[in-house]
Amino acid sequence: MVYQPPSGARDLLPLDVAQKSWIEDRLQQVLHRWGYQRIITSTLERMDTLMAGGAIASQQILQIQSSDEVLGLRPEFTASIARTAVMRLSDKSYPSRLYYNANVFRRPQEGSHSTQQESYQAGVELLGGGGILADAEILLLVMDCLNGIGLADRWQMVLGDAGLTRSLLWEFPKPLRGKVRHALAHLDRVALETMPMEEELRSRALQILDLRGEPESVIKKLSQMPLDDYQQRAAVNLQRLLSLLQATAQKRGLPDRFPIVLDLSLIRTFDYYTGIVFEVISDPASGQQILGQGGRYDELLSTYHPQAEAIPSIGFSLEIERLHQALLPTGQLPKRTTTSEKLVVAESVEVYPIALAQSQLLRELNPSAQVEIYLRSPDGTVTIDRETIYDHARQQSILEIVWIRANGSIDVEIL
Amino acid sequence: MLTIALAKGSLLKESIKLFQSIGLDFSGFLEPGCRQLQIVEPTGRAKALLVRNGDVPVYVEYGQAQLGVVGYDVIREKKPNVAQVLDLKFGGCRLSVAVKATSPYRSSLELPMQGRVASSFVHCARDYFDGLDLPVEIVPLHGSVELGPLTGMSEAIVDLVATGNTLRENGLIEIDILFHSTARLIAYPLSYRLNTYKLHSDIDRLRKAVDAQTIAVGDG
Repeated sequence: MVYQPPSGARDLLPLDVAQKSWIEDRLQQVLHRWGYQRIITSTLERMDTLMAGGAIASQQILQIQSSDEVLGLRPEFTASIARTAVMRLSDKSYPSRLYYNANVFRRPQEGSHSTQQESYQAGVELLGGGGILADAEILLLVMDCLNGIGLADRWQMVLGDAGLTRSLLWEFPKPLRGKVRHALAHLDRVALETMPMEEELRSRALQILDLRGEPESVIKKLSQMPLDDYQQRAAVNLQRLLSLLQATAQKRGLPDRFPIVLDLSLIRTFDYYTGIVFEVISDPASGQQILGQGGRYDELLSTYHPQAEAIPSIGFSLEIERLHQALLPTGQLPKRTTTSEKLVVAESVEVYPIALAQSQLLRELNPSAQVEIYLRSPDGTVTIDRETIYDHARQQSILEIVWIRANGSIDVEIL
Repeated sequence: MLTIALAKGSLLKESIKLFQSIGLDFSGFLEPGCRQLQIVEPTGRAKALLVRNGDVPVYVEYGQAQLGVVGYDVIREKKPNVAQVLDLKFGGCRLSVAVKATSPYRSSLELPMQGRVASSFVHCARDYFDGLDLPVEIVPLHGSVELGPLTGMSEAIVDLVATGNTLRENGLIEIDILFHSTARLIAYPLSYRLNTYKLHSDIDRLRKAVDAQTIAVGDG
């Protein structure tokens, strides 16, 4: 019989792993430079932990029957990190800069064409970091990550403010609010145009749908709308954040325009994010896919905290496979796996011990050298075929053949 | 380049006329003997793909086309993750329940509990009958749905009705309407947010063209 992988499963062969590691190593270097430390949490979590934030429904989680309860494979990391942070980190350890890099699991959604269940994510959580300085850190960090893996100028960012946008919906009466929010989240202008509601509310809903574009012009449009105190403060904060990013770029002599579209219609159908939200999108040449996303979630940690203490936090996650797809056409990813530099060939059975000892010596002398033993060496009846060995060496880009002669002498041949 | 997915069939002529009105000419698709599946319009600013009705939202959902023209019925049936940008007002029709004229049924609620309903809109039909709490069996078909009641396979059908001629000629009558449908302009959500290839200016001009058309029709 043929053993098949589960539908949608993908095995990573050495070249895939080399390319994935290339991306992850570069991300890790950037994250270390910003003072982030890696955390590894359990792949399996209790279902209530995974769903506490309200952004994940049980249908999205792959469930596993453990001895006495049903557990879920993590569909994302923030819930796990929040759970462990509130239990294990002391107040003094905030702000805490953590990053992760591992696999996540999601059950394919109804209507989705993909059967992929496992994917890889790298991301950060800045726990106990409130205010625009933390917001700016996260936005600059995500940009630095993309630049660090060689995707500079190949992405755009959509930036919104979930708290502000949600507050703009307060004036819609309750049953209508959910429908308007759904239409906004799905960019369904036709629904907003035809839904039964007062014309004044309709024009307001359409106004929110169009609060998008050049940051300055959107802020200007926003300031012309009637805003309450909360909304005014949020608008001022957003403006400060954008000026901060711009001023920082100027200080560093960089072009002061980040590829940011300010989009105050960017809202989800669930309350998870409380402040800025953003999506990083590859350029049209790379298919305009979401490479990563993130936002501020100031209330999430209180859900996990025994005393419901609020710990303002912000984070983002990057989809490793999407980064891989976006990087492929750039030609930067390794095109082959690293192969051995030295090949040790024993010319007879009697000199096997010398071959093994010599290859070990070569590894010790140069720990970075990759030394392999030629396995089709003679077994007493077969004699050695030099042409086959040279062919093998050429194919594998081997630089040096170490011949262990039948009389025990060692000859090194540089290719 | 701005890429637009156009549906083959009844919406094509009107779609091409609409894009012509904003200076994008894809009329090559209408020339007799044309077998091209994609056309770059003469100014080189945009490209159109000619695909099946049901495939339009697929190209747009994957971002291979930034814009598409497709019937609202397809959107309701497939629930694609696309932005519904504009009601283009043409291609009007309705998704209806129909039965044999000689049958005793005059509303969906009168259909027998364990009855059968033939349809190529299985999701819409399922949602509708679930909403009525009527546990009918939905029989999926890909065309000539009218044969369902005529052969006795099903008591009713759920199908698109434009003029009602096909129903009449086959001795069927419409007993309930699920929803009305017109052609919609849809967009890939990320391109819409990012205004890729400045597609908002095209959308604005299409909106004006549709409004002008509607007023003209209204006056007539």
